[in-house]
Amino acid sequence: MFREMTFTDVNRAAVDAQADFVMDEDTFRAFYDRNARGVWAYLARVSGDRQTADDLLQETFYRFLRAAADHDSEEHRRNSLYRIATNLARDARRRTLTRPHADVAGHDIETIANRSDGDETSADFDRAMSRLKPRERAMLWLAYAEGASHREIAQVMGLRPASLKLLLFRARRRLATLLGRSETRNAAAR
Amino acid sequence: MQQRVDCEFEAEVLAAVLQSRWPHRADPQLQKHAETCTICADVAAVAGLIDNAREQSRASATLPDSGRVWWLAQVKARREATKSAGRPITATQLIAGAAAVGFSGAVFGATCQWFQEALAGFSLSAALTEHTALASGMAAVIILVPAAAWLALRRD
Repeated sequence: MFREMTFTDVNRAAVDAQADFVMDEDTFRAFYDRNARGVWAYLARVSGDRQTADDLLQETFYRFLRAAADHDSEEHRRNSLYRIATNLARDARRRTLTRPHADVAGHDIETIANRSDGDETSADFDRAMSRLKPRERAMLWLAYAEGASHREIAQVMGLRPASLKLLLFRARRRLATLLGRSETRNAAAR
Repeated sequence: MQQRVDCEFEAEVLAAVLQSRWPHRADPQLQKHAETCTICADVAAVAGLIDNAREQSRASATLPDSGRVWWLAQVKARREATKSAGRPITATQLIAGAAAVGFSGAVFGATCQWFQEALAGFSLSAALTEHTALASGMAAVIILVPAAAWLALRRD
């Protein structure tokens, strides 16, 4: 049955919302300092957009704080965080399907052509990654940038562990092929 | 024949790449293996680049301070709590308003002499037949207004 709520009730609800956080401020700040940079890099790579990564980072940590989850280890907390980030990146992508893929390493697309050899490799890599499906980018990033195990990647991405090996193999194959093509093209250009 | 998707030397190749030992300071046998193994060759090709990209991305990130993220999370949690606490008030007010209108109508109908007299000479079926369009419009409004109110509340 509905009950008329007073301002005291509303204020109490607001205070309770803070109490619902899964950790206190000091623990959160230490956890954030350990993980924010990695999560941002992951979001930037999967979404393909720095601005989106900036926006989603705050929301990722907020949802983590509000999640009614009982984490038994740092690894478990970290997996939860990346799972939230993965879902948010997927939702953001659905909202902005028409936006072009942007460079995420901090360079403007126009300047790629003027890069030195090292930068050129980086540009080729960015281009090749951008041609992968977001799920492939996420899997490869988790495996080789974050050093996540197959079980962890499956958990984060909501996939069956049994199918992950094959999916990772295909994603890696595709990226290697794309990189091989770009290397050949660069060699021909030189 | 089923395609092979992993290799027993994959982890060794990955370790060599991430420790910057690949290819020149890696075990020659491992290098030789990678020349013929697609899986290890792919790992060698992509792992180092992804690791470099990770370093670049992490270095280029401009992150908000942890204190600010905590503070914004608190603000958002309070706002959401206030919003959800305010929702029952709106619903209660709607129900109370509808009940008050109904009660007032009932009291008016029961106490007003001329209204009762007017009602006595009124035939519902005759009025509906005579003003079909008007009756349909009123019925639509009676149904649509609560539906619209419910949809608006649900969206909040």
